This record gives sequence, C-alpha cells and structure tokens, in this order.
Amino acid sequence: MGEDFNTDSMLDMFLYESEQLLETLENVVLEKKDEDCFDEASINEIFRAMHTIKGSSGIMMYENITKVSHKLEDVFYYLRESHPENVPHLELVDHVLEVSDFINGELDKIREGETPDGDESKIVDEIDKFLTRIKTGIEKKGDELPPENTYVEPEQFYIAPTGSESSKYYKVSIYWRGDTQMCNIRAYTAVYSLKEIVEDMQYIPEDIITNEASSEVILADGFHMLVKCQATDEELISTIGETSGMDHVEIHDCTQQEFEMGFHHQDEDNIIINLDDKEKDSEEKKEKKEPTPGDYVIKNKESGKSKKLAKNQPKQQPKQTYISVNVEKLDALMDMIGELVISEAVVLQNPDLKVPGLDLTNFQKAAGQLSKITTELQDVIMSMRMMSLTNTFQKMNRIVFDVSRKLGKDIELEVIGENTEVDKNIIEHISDPLMHLIRNSVDHGIESKEDRIAAGKNPKGKITLEAKNEGGKVYIIVRDDGKGLNKQALYDKAKNNGLIGNRAMSEFTEKEIYQFITYAGFSTKEQVTEYSGRGVGMDVVVKNIQSVGGNLEIDSMEGAGSEMTLKIPLTLAIINGIVMQVGNSTFVIETNAVKEFVRISRDMLVKEPDGEEYIMLRNECYPFIRLNQRYHLEESKTDIEDGIVVVLEHESKFICVFIDELIAEQEIVVKPIPSYIRKVQGLSGCTQLGDGSIALILDIAGLIAGEERK
Amino acid sequence: MSEELLEEFEDEQDAQKGMFMTFQMGGECYGIAITFVQEIVGIQPITAVPEIEDYIKGLINIRGKIIPVIDVRVRFKQEPFEYTDRTCIIVINVKSTIVGLIVDKIAGVITVDEREIILPPSLSQSGSVSSKYVFGLAKVDDEVKLLLDPERLIQDEDIAAFGEVVSGTEVSAEA
Repeated sequence: MGEDFNTDSMLDMFLYESEQLLETLENVVLEKKDEDCFDEASINEIFRAMHTIKGSSGIMMYENITKVSHKLEDVFYYLRESHPENVPHLELVDHVLEVSDFINGELDKIREGETPDGDESKIVDEIDKFLTRIKTGIEKKGDELPPENTYVEPEQFYIAPTGSESSKYYKVSIYWRGDTQMCNIRAYTAVYSLKEIVEDMQYIPEDIITNEASSEVILADGFHMLVKCQATDEELISTIGETSGMDHVEIHDCTQQEFEMGFHHQDEDNIIINLDDKEKDSEEKKEKKEPTPGDYVIKNKESGKSKKLAKNQPKQQPKQTYISVNVEKLDALMDMIGELVISEAVVLQNPDLKVPGLDLTNFQKAAGQLSKITTELQDVIMSMRMMSLTNTFQKMNRIVFDVSRKLGKDIELEVIGENTEVDKNIIEHISDPLMHLIRNSVDHGIESKEDRIAAGKNPKGKITLEAKNEGGKVYIIVRDDGKGLNKQALYDKAKNNGLIGNRAMSEFTEKEIYQFITYAGFSTKEQVTEYSGRGVGMDVVVKNIQSVGGNLEIDSMEGAGSEMTLKIPLTLAIINGIVMQVGNSTFVIETNAVKEFVRISRDMLVKEPDGEEYIMLRNECYPFIRLNQRYHLEESKTDIEDGIVVVLEHESKFICVFIDELIAEQEIVVKPIPSYIRKVQGLSGCTQLGDGSIALILDIAGLIAGEERK
Repeated sequence: MSEELLEEFEDEQDAQKGMFMTFQMGGECYGIAITFVQEIVGIQPITAVPEIEDYIKGLINIRGKIIPVIDVRVRFKQEPFEYTDRTCIIVINVKSTIVGLIVDKIAGVITVDEREIILPPSLSQSGSVSSKYVFGLAKVDDEVKLLLDPERLIQDEDIAAFGEVVSGTEVSAEA
C-alpha cells in the first residue's frame, strides 16, 4: 500500500550492534598488534564480527559496508581454514583497522541521517590483493588450497583420493517418483550419508544445494553418482536407505577409468534392484561383517600447524551479561527515586507526629526499616547509571597507536584503575578532553627516540592513564615521562600573546604558569600539525570538564614529564546535607564540606577596618562570612555569640559561616535552581524539605571565590 | 466558499484560540493567551533567593516542582502590594520555561476575536512601562483589557546578556 516500513528501531539496533562489534574488533586487534600473528581465538572473533556486520548491513541495504566486511571476512575465513604461515601481520592489522574506520565513518553518516556513500572499492581492492598474495604464497609451496568461501553450507567435501587396490567403482543412480518434492535435498541426503563410507565421489547434477531447478532435472533424469569405495553395492544401497518418494536405485559397476572420466559415458553391467526386493536382500546384509575402523581412510585437508597453547592466551574474563536500556527510562527512574526520598522525609517528619506524649516506638522501628530500604534502593539506582571507564580507556589505545606510529615514536600506554565507575553523563563529557590530553602527551610531551636516548631515557616512551575514586571525586590522571613543561617558554608565550598583561613571572605560582596552556589562543608549538598546535584545544578541554563541574590541574617537571589531573565530582543527585537556618531562609550544606561547628566568643572575632572579618580558632585565622549580610536576609541573628559558626573546607581552603541555628542532618535531593533565575554565586541548587518548604544549597567553592574576589 | 468553511473548521478545532485569561492588577485589567496558562494556584509561602532581580520574588513548591515566581506589579514598575488571600499565582509555560505570575485577582476567561484586537498606540517615553509587554488591546463589555505577551514579560534581554558576560569573566578569572 505504499506504507513505509518503519525501520527506526531496526536502525537503532543495527547501529548499536555494529558499533559494539567494531569496538570489540578494535580491542582484539590492538591487543594482538605486538605479536607476530593472530591466534585462533582472535581470528574467530574477528571473523564472527565481520560476518555479523556483513549480514546485518545487508538487511539494512548498506551495500558498501556489506562489500567491505565480506572482503575482510574472506581473509579471515582463509586464515581460519588454512592457517597460513608468514602472514604480514602489521599489514593485516592495518587492513582491519582501515575497514573498521571505514565502517565507523559510514555508521556516523547514517547516524546523522546522511547517506552512507563512501567508496569501498579501493579498500576492497587492496584487501583483495593482500588476500591473493597470501594465497599465492601458499601455492608456491605446493600445499592444497582450501575451497572457496561460498555461501553454501555445508561446503563441498574435498576428499583426497587414496590409492587402494581393493577400491571398487560404482555408478549409483537414484530415481524418484514423479510427484516428489525437493528432490535436490533428498539427493543431497544420499550424498551425505554415502560420504561416510566412500573414498571419493562425484555426482550430477552438481548444484543440488544452490539450485532448486536441479530438482526437476533429478526428477527427469535421475540423480547419478560415481562412487569409489571399499563397500559392496548392497552396503551402498543400505546406506542410501529409503526415503519416501524414492522410486528405485540403480547400481552399476564401473571401471576406474570410467570413474575418472566422470559422467561422460554409459555403463555396462546393470544390476537393477527394486525396492520391493529389499526384504530379500536385507537378510543377506545382516550377515555381512560390519566395516571395521581403519578400513576406510579419508584424508583430511587439515594442515599440521599446531594451535597456540592455551596457556599463552590471555585468560578470558568471566563474561557478564548485559541488557541495554533506554537512557530515558533510567532518567525517569532517577527522578522518581528523588521524589521517593522527599516523600519519605515528608512522612517521617510530618508535623502530625509531633503530638506530645505520643508513643512512637513501633513507628520509629518501622520508619528506620523504611529508611534503610530507601537508601539501598537509591544506591542501586544511582549505580545503574554508572559505567566503568574501561571502554573510554580502550579508545585511547587506538589513539596512542595511530599517533605514535604516524609520528614515528615508540610509546607504551599503561592503564590503571580502568574499572572505576563514573556516571554515564560524565563519560560522555570527558571522552573528548581525554583524547586531546593523550594526543598532547604523544605529540608535545614525549620526545623523539633520538632525543630520549640523548637524554638518557628509555627510547620507548610511556604514558600512564590512571583513574581512581577519592573523597567523592573521580581523579583521572594522564602522566607522561616526556620532556615536561618549560615555565619560561610558557610565560614568554603568554606574554607575547597578550594573555597576561605585564605581570612579571614571579607573580605567578608554578601551577598558575602551567595553567597558561589552557588559555584560548595559546600554543608554543612552532608548527601546526594535524594533531595539535592550533592553540584551540586546551581551553575547549577545560570548558568541557567544567561543564560537568570538574577542573583540570597541571603539574610538570622539566625533563621528567608532565601530569594532567582531571578532578570530577561524582554526580550526586542525592547528598547528605546539614540543614540550617539563617533568618527566614533555610540553607543546606553538604556534610562532607563541614569540618566542625563552634560557638565563639566575641574576642575570637577580628574585624578589619574595611569591614572584613576573621575568626581566630586554635591560632589559625579563617575568613568569616555573615550570610545575612551577604545575602541581605532579614530577621537573623547578628550577635556573634547567639548563633553558631560553621567551619567549612573546600580543597584545603577554609571558611567560616555564621548561621542562626542548626536544624537537622538529612539526605536531600539536589534540584537545580530553575534556569530562569540567573546563576547566583554561592548557590548550587535547591531542595525541598520534609515540610514542603524550599531550602537553598550553598556552594562552598562559590562562597570562597566570592571572598577572594573582594 | 470552501475556504471559509475550512477556516471555521480550523477555529473550531483550536478551541483555545482567542481565549484569554484575565486578571486584575492595580486597577487595570490584563489578559494572557490561555494557551500559555498551565494552572492557577493560591498564594503560597515563597522562598526568597538572594541576589536576583527585584521582580523575581523567589521559588515556590508545587507538587514537587520548584517554580520561580514573578511579581507582575514590580515588573511593571508599579507600587508593590501586600499579598492577601485573594492573591493568585498564574503558572505559565512559555517555550518550556515555567514561571509563576503573582497577580491581585483573577477575573475570568474571555473570548476575543482576532479581528477585534487593536494594536496599542505607541506612547511617548512618559507612557507606562507596560506598553512594551502589551501586544494588543481588546474591548469587551465597555472594558478595555490589555493583552500581554508572555515572552516579553518574563524575558529581560539586558539581564540575560549581562548574565552571560558575568559567567564568562568568572571562568577566565578562575582558570
């Protein structure tokens, strides 16, 4: 009717599946790139991946992908079946990666909604030539070629002839009744059963598997086989057996020459055995000896190449089962658990319960149980969105491989802590920055081999990629043992580009100087390469990291290397917070940030002439903020001895905040302040309390920054 | 002939077209297209947010959703008023931004034919500030209602642009 077949969900599945397969493929290849050839497991895996992609892209009608994967599948089929030696390994690796890149490119186009119009013919040609090369390399040695990889399953059996004096030759013909269906399949059944006992055979029509029209030919002319075996004709007949529709079977003796000439002449002696007579023969057959093993020898085409020892293969990790879930559903689930936590608070802190004299022991017990379960539920749901960094780190392998090869450097990538889990959202945002940092390390950081040898370093450069969880944050560190950052060069460049005005170098701390490289438009690379040097990378990196609330720290030692640390807070939609009152407003501070609460006396307060206040606590001086003044709140306590001072810490910086009173410690659901309200420094979100009122969440970093700005 | 029928058909389809929610504000009667109105709630405790524009009064909590509210009189630079029990909050949804408008009194829903909307005369600078938020006047039962453009009402281009500049300088200073 012209209705469009809805391919959307199919397309999603195809894209997702193919992406996964290509990722696995790349990993397998990169794992084995340093060895001299692929082992059996890898070959199988690559073959399977290409086979699947070929099939699914065929269904989706993306011909160029099908062709390319088919070609590579051919190569790996050949490798799998005939185990050739001396396959140029790096070339093969290159071809595989080339194919993978091509398909990825096409998949990207499809994802964007464009047509995948890449030209595959060049890649196909190259792989074809490669395949021919390794095949002809084999022929020169005189080995046998494995059969062509056709779509026919199972393949034709190439059974090498054995010389044996007692071999007999027969021509067997099977005729079926006129109305029999699928004679070609029945004929094949006969062939299949016979192959167990014959040494060699040919048959006509030959295309019984692939060509349905052969069925009619068989009906008309019969199915003919030329057979060489040790068995007698009666054994042959019994092996062929009796299938419905079979009219009769003819067996004729024939000579060796006739056998070798094939189906080009007629036979002489005819022994026609009607199926009706079978009963007579069956008694005779039972008396016949069963063929003993060893009577019939069928030579296999297996070459003698030994399989790689199992112990040399990396131990397979126990496979985990995964299920793919739409991210929207997970988001909805996260929202709902947030609402649940709030509802729980509303119930447990309900004013109705505050009736004096009410015995609530049973209620408290039950409430405790409820809280426990809710917390656990919350933990599990939060963990659902967490993904391990393994995949992201694997991608870095590829980059190091590519860039180091192209620049002629020898670099090893060490990965630590890849099992660390972070929220999916974060992974998406740090993938690009990480790639950029690694590229920088390879391009700028690690010196060329000659320079390294001259400096007395190991000519093989090393980049370490480490991830760890610490103090509610995820640290991702990129460490290289290259030439490090030159402070003077950085300062000069920044000054020349007008990024820092006229301040002297001494005014900056070391860390600040290193941060120059993150300024837009900064680059000390003399030449722009394909990979870096344009000076637009690092500031984008920093922006991406900041968009998930993290920051980038840079440390370096000239001549020894550099270390870039990404610090990213775990997305905490639900945090432990302390609720406090200032005037008519309620605020919440994250429990982790609170160091202590103190009541202070007037003599601990120091006031500067410009209005700044400080608190002396245990001989340390801390900046002091009165929230009521900062935020112009009314009706709050002003006498320092009436309220409470909260000492807060953020990244080794301390600050004291004056509040009226503490209310409670509880779990709160962080909700963003509606975007309509423009960003207020010092507030990072809001939440609803048990009684329905709204509390504002204080952002310590913002408060501290505000103080410093003054 | 068929075109007219088609038009009528369309009008009937869009039952909300031409319908305006009207409310009282300091002696004037205003209207807002009902397609923007999500709901109307009575006045609720408002949580103040420090350091924001004066016409944004703060946040309220409606069934779990946290919504910012605007005092329309302050927006129009008129005298602010005491909130009474009759004060209402009209929750509007403009291009996915949900905002509550605090108004004196709700009047009702009126239907105004498109062709009867008169463009406001351009006033001199001494004219009321509200003129830029009003896109038309409608005369209903001897009363003139000022029809508001919700987007202009909640959007303040100066503030938005300023906000971006501020956050931009913050980033580079901290770097």
